[in-house]
Amino acid sequence: MEFGKPARSGYLPLLMDTLVRVTDLSRRFGSQQALSDVNLCLDRGEVLGLLGPNGAGKTTCLRILSGMLAPSRGRIEIQGIDLARKPLQAKRHLGYLPERPPLHPELRVDEYLTFCARIHRLPSRRIPESVAEAKRRCGLENSGQRLIAKLSKGFRQRLGIAQAILHRPKLLILDEPTEGLDPFQMRELRALIRSLAEECGVILSSHLLGEVQAVCDRAVIMHQGRVRFDARLQPSSQCSQWRIRLTPTSDAGVLVTLPHVLSSEAIGGDRYLVELDELGTAADLSRGIVMAGLGLLELLPEHSDLERVFFDLIGVEDRT
Amino acid sequence: MIGAIAGREIRSGLVTPLIWVLLGAGQVVLAWIYLKVVEDFSGLSADERVGSLTQELALNLFGFAAVIALLAAPLLAMRSLSAELREGSFDLLGSAPVRLGEVVIGKFLGLILLITPLCLLPAANLLMLSGIADLDPGHLAAATLGLWLAAVMFCAIGLYGSSLSSQPGASVLIGFGLLLLLSIVGRADSIGDMSLSLFDWLSWNEHLLWFLLGAVRMSDLGYFVLFTLFFLALTHRRLINRRLQ
Repeated sequence: MEFGKPARSGYLPLLMDTLVRVTDLSRRFGSQQALSDVNLCLDRGEVLGLLGPNGAGKTTCLRILSGMLAPSRGRIEIQGIDLARKPLQAKRHLGYLPERPPLHPELRVDEYLTFCARIHRLPSRRIPESVAEAKRRCGLENSGQRLIAKLSKGFRQRLGIAQAILHRPKLLILDEPTEGLDPFQMRELRALIRSLAEECGVILSSHLLGEVQAVCDRAVIMHQGRVRFDARLQPSSQCSQWRIRLTPTSDAGVLVTLPHVLSSEAIGGDRYLVELDELGTAADLSRGIVMAGLGLLELLPEHSDLERVFFDLIGVEDRT
Repeated sequence: MIGAIAGREIRSGLVTPLIWVLLGAGQVVLAWIYLKVVEDFSGLSADERVGSLTQELALNLFGFAAVIALLAAPLLAMRSLSAELREGSFDLLGSAPVRLGEVVIGKFLGLILLITPLCLLPAANLLMLSGIADLDPGHLAAATLGLWLAAVMFCAIGLYGSSLSSQPGASVLIGFGLLLLLSIVGRADSIGDMSLSLFDWLSWNEHLLWFLLGAVRMSDLGYFVLFTLFFLALTHRRLINRRLQ
């Protein structure tokens, strides 16, 4: 994974395909500044991943975007509609899945989704069709009569997503959507998010860097309430940096003489960071090490660029 | 929109045991009072009777039903906002294109419809006497109306208490506290000057008494409507403030 051009900032003129524009968003809780001058832009068909450590302001940002919280300062436009001035019109374009799915455990799945359709002002004749479609997309076809209180955590999460996409919103806000899902469900959710992104813009927050890399077009890293990084993600062909661990008796100086190796850097504990050229692969590197008579104990791909940026930004450089 | 929110409140209320427990317990207590009143009344000679059977039943049966409604309203209301705020399900309404005023009215209507059967219990008990005793239907209708209006006001106060805390237990206590205050405030005049009538006016039981005596007065109707609207407005303001806090 590598980064392309920096993403367009929020203060640039609103283009026709811009779905959300956030300008100078700030939020204070008493003496604590939770968000400071956040500027964001989201285009139609784009998936934006919001990354950051706990307390970075991700959830606050998403709650403000969904109209649950009022900002202390700043402006949010959804489809060109000011969220503060015309909240009802702006919220019609919004689907929101909070950190905890907003479910009513005493209802059945169909009853709950029908209620959600009504409060999103869907016409009565379209409700059965919309409910069936949302259930189909989230794998809940056979759960319509099940009591929500009896659903597993994964199914509750699916239902939370179903209520968010029920009215086909233009903007989908997902706060930690993979929380509680097993690896299969996570993979299904990634595919679902990608398919939803064909018709709407998606903002999702996650602690999982891999998740963001896998599903997002753009990553925004937040730290201490500020946007520290905002760039497009582009898939790279392969990993060029590898971490290796050799036996203590090995002569590490030989590493730079191996085929396709551009550089080698000792990072402590008999570990080395080896950079390969464009043609080099892990197979070439391991073969070269063995042929040179070095004892290879470990061979790991180096952290992705996003991971490095993340740790650099929050001041924790992982070198072990 | 209001109908959808109210319908969901009623549906949720009916599938949880609380309303059924309240109705069952209320009926047991009312049946006991009903039996006592009828037994005491029938045991007295015509000279010893202070009022009519209708009056005795209205004051005792409907009066105690008001106390049951007072206890029930904050319990029913805690689910409406406080529990939703705690469990996060309020986010569903908060992020939907719904006005907070519609949310308050929808939830309030749901509560009214849930507590209405409780208000009809005394009248339902009295149906057993139809054809046996000479009861005044107008008097009983006034008492039922008074009881219902009082219960509606209790719901508004309970809803306000529910909006103040995301801890359902605390919200129930706040509701009880407010209702208790409005129950005993009328006794303040007995402490000092008897001419002090503001505290009397503030007390709901003073206004309910006139309904139980069979008199429907505009001033009493105005009291219940005014206080109901006042606490609904406070609930609305509270929900707006939650977005700012």
